[in-house]
Amino acid sequence: MSRFSPGRLSALVQLLFRRNAVESDLEEEVASFYQTLVEDYRAKGMEEDEARRLARLKFGLPEQAKEEIRAARTGALIAFSLRDAHYALRSLRRSRTFATVTVVTLALGIAANATIFSMISRFILKSPPVANPQKLLSVHLTHDGERCCNNFSWLTYRSFQRGVRSFSDAAAYYSVLPASIGGSGDAQRIWGEAATTNFFDVSQTGMTLGRGFARDEDDAAVVVIGYRLWRRKFGADPSIVQKRILLSGRSFEVIGVAPAGFHGLDLILDSEFWIPLGQIDQLAPNTSNRSSRSHHWLNVIARLKSDTSQTQAAAELLVFAQRMAAAYPDSDRGQGFLLQQAGSLPPRDRSMILVFLTALTIVGLLVLAIACANVANLFLAQTAGRAREMAVRIALGATLRHLLQQILAESFLLGFAGAVCGMGLSLWTTRALGTFHFPAPVPLDLRLSVDWRVLLYSFLLSTVAGLLFGLVPFWTIVRPLLAKGLRGDDLLARPGQIWTLGNLLVVSQIAMSLVLLSSTGLFLRSLRNAAAIETGFRSHGLLLLSVDPRLHGYSAQRTNRFLDELRERVSTLPGVVSASYTDSMPLTGGHRSEGFRVEGQTPERETHNSVDLYMAGPDYFETIGTGRLAGRGFHRENPAGPKMAVVNQAFVRRFLPGENALGQRVTGGGRTYQIIGVVKNIKSRFLGEEFRPVLYRSLAQDIADDPSSTGYSLLVRYAQNSAGLAEQVRKEIRVLDPSLAVFNVRRVEDHLEDAYFLPRLASAIFGAFGFLGVVLAGVGLYGVMDFWVRRRTREIGIRLALGATVRSVQHLIVREGMILTAAAFAPGLAGAWALARLFSGVLYGVQPHDPTVFILVPCLLAIVAVFACWLPSRQASRAEPLNALRHE
Amino acid sequence: MIAEMARSAELLQGTLDLLILRTLERGPSHGVEVAQRIEQVTRGVFVIGPGSLFPALHRLAEKGWIDGAWTELKGKRRVKVYSLTADGRSQLTEERRNWRKVLLAMNRVLSEEA
Repeated sequence: MSRFSPGRLSALVQLLFRRNAVESDLEEEVASFYQTLVEDYRAKGMEEDEARRLARLKFGLPEQAKEEIRAARTGALIAFSLRDAHYALRSLRRSRTFATVTVVTLALGIAANATIFSMISRFILKSPPVANPQKLLSVHLTHDGERCCNNFSWLTYRSFQRGVRSFSDAAAYYSVLPASIGGSGDAQRIWGEAATTNFFDVSQTGMTLGRGFARDEDDAAVVVIGYRLWRRKFGADPSIVQKRILLSGRSFEVIGVAPAGFHGLDLILDSEFWIPLGQIDQLAPNTSNRSSRSHHWLNVIARLKSDTSQTQAAAELLVFAQRMAAAYPDSDRGQGFLLQQAGSLPPRDRSMILVFLTALTIVGLLVLAIACANVANLFLAQTAGRAREMAVRIALGATLRHLLQQILAESFLLGFAGAVCGMGLSLWTTRALGTFHFPAPVPLDLRLSVDWRVLLYSFLLSTVAGLLFGLVPFWTIVRPLLAKGLRGDDLLARPGQIWTLGNLLVVSQIAMSLVLLSSTGLFLRSLRNAAAIETGFRSHGLLLLSVDPRLHGYSAQRTNRFLDELRERVSTLPGVVSASYTDSMPLTGGHRSEGFRVEGQTPERETHNSVDLYMAGPDYFETIGTGRLAGRGFHRENPAGPKMAVVNQAFVRRFLPGENALGQRVTGGGRTYQIIGVVKNIKSRFLGEEFRPVLYRSLAQDIADDPSSTGYSLLVRYAQNSAGLAEQVRKEIRVLDPSLAVFNVRRVEDHLEDAYFLPRLASAIFGAFGFLGVVLAGVGLYGVMDFWVRRRTREIGIRLALGATVRSVQHLIVREGMILTAAAFAPGLAGAWALARLFSGVLYGVQPHDPTVFILVPCLLAIVAVFACWLPSRQASRAEPLNALRHE
Repeated sequence: MIAEMARSAELLQGTLDLLILRTLERGPSHGVEVAQRIEQVTRGVFVIGPGSLFPALHRLAEKGWIDGAWTELKGKRRVKVYSLTADGRSQLTEERRNWRKVLLAMNRVLSEEA
């Protein structure tokens, strides 16, 4: 139509940034026009009053003229939106309490959701920092159609790499490879991976500095270091490439620095260096085995060819698995392949984590929905109070669109403010959650961050929320106004009609808070049960220290000698009752396990025979405090003699029911043990588990051919207090070997605290959410009843005037509220029931349909409801009949 | 009534622009002068209320065809006086030509034998 002239641009700029100047200019122009008209009439000899009257007649409504000028201007739409926002701000400022309550309510709801979604974003949606991540798959082995999962043997990997056509290439790596770095003094333990030389090519990881492995470097002493390690240990030295560094005392040449954010393809393991697979024995002797098909030690990733889909690849793998089974019936029969996006959750834990996150998301959305219902109710009351203002605006020519725009401007503004505050809050909660120390022996990267997905999700939520609670009052109040105009009726006063929108909102609120509160109840009971769980050992008065002599080049014999000497020295320290050593503390999420069978019995399916393994030194059971039932514990066993084992009750029940276990011989992991003792059960991996079969073996006998990859721990039982004891033990270690790094020094009580992490986290989250939900629902019910009382003041007055007692009026009001509450119980209980079924996997010793919770929670809610109705009813019954009648 | 006025102004939008430009061609004037001038010259056929005049003036100013400046009126009050810009002058020539075309075409249509 027309060019965009500089005049227009400057007009737009003026309009948007100098609104006041533009407006006052307009004001003055209109005024001066009017004045000129008046003067003209005066000049024609008219009286002042007459001149003004004629001028006004000619002029029309000045506001109307101004409005049309505004509408004709460039950027009118933007100006209108700004004006709506401005107007919204002004009317919100008038009702500051309302605005504050709304923003706080929404901020809490949005912060909860943003925090939960940041977990989803981190663990499910985020892809690893490699090129083309959707074509990179991780491959797992399955056995006998079991869901999950095993690693590859070297030979299976080679067959896979050569024989499967769907992939352009496949790489294998060994993860959780420990090394000490930084020499003596402040030696630090870090974790890395050993990978085939095509690892960085298959994953398509571009280096920050230097290069990845060359194909012929399988045996070269080279290392790629992680970005954070590079910054932390080497001060981001730009000339690090080609320098040599010491890992566990062995020299490696740095050839590259991995990109920031890359810590391997595992979602949570925090790997910080990569060496070629051929070098693995330098850091972890006896780990690699390239000649066996049954030694499963490698993770495999594979890159799909660009024209092949994952389904096609899976189909090819079915055929490939049959070929393998035919060629190697001993090892590969019943074996299958499972494909997954690389960098997704480990298949083993996937379903549990998904349940947990789903539950959290549902609960978070429930809280937000309750918050929104509350705000919508507030809004409804607020808008109803302004019905007359709206009617006036309609009469003055405001269109439906104008009013809608204005109401939405207010609700979006509130939603936006809520989102901003909520995001601020979630920045803090995600950091707090991410720094939690998880009870695992290897470093995990659990840092959460508010990324673009979380931002998008939160603002989407706030927009939907704003739209919802903005449209509700518009629909119920403004639309009928258009018809009824200025009559000034109280449009909400429709006595007798109970299913109004406001009531529906309250019913849904109460129902949702019933769901929330039931979940809270279940988790609180679960926490109480978890606290009462019998772990099977005495955590009080027990100190834990770990060392990893293998990182310092110790042989098995030397480690053995060292641990024995240390144990004897520490045992004689004052205040020490006894001391022993082991490879891993129970309740660290699982350390080592093997399939076992009793000698002379035919093995059943392998998966049911899994036994957790712990290595133990002399006095182990006395020190850790696990009761002995039969036989003896370990003394100083002969490393070369027949292997001895102590088993727990669950082991006996599983493998030797009704028999005398002592003297029996059991086989697992290629080793045969003779049972010399039986002890009580312990919780081995998690607090919530059923007792598992556990086999203790002599550390001295098994350290040579089955070393621990995470080091060894000294256990010290002390009599009074631990103050200074840790330092004394450290001193003893320094006497034996001053270069040895000591880590993980802590009281077992604290270790146990960590094991309570999950139940405590769940209870904390659900407790907070449940409390929030009840408060919000209570406030909502109170608001609705209060509003109901106020708009029926006249009716109450008439009742009182006609002789109704105060009690009967109160009774009437409370009854109305209780009908709403009761109506909410049916859907609420059904929802709570359904959600509880979902949770059953993560509850400790609580039936999902725990009767205590399902009776107590509705009672509690009913009490809150009675109170919320009683408060406004008291106010109503205090009204003087005459005043009430004169009301309005 | 208000709606009626707004609609007729819209109908006359092109014409109104031309009228204002032509009026300002004779020399700078303020809003009331423009309206009165048009009313006089057309002998009361076009009566332009502020509701139509102001939007038109602002629209033309935004397009850069006229320019508004505050001036003292006989030392008493400030009024906004509009004048034609160079762009406005060429636009006026253009619109004149257009108008003649329209007029000619309309005449032909209307004078055609039925």
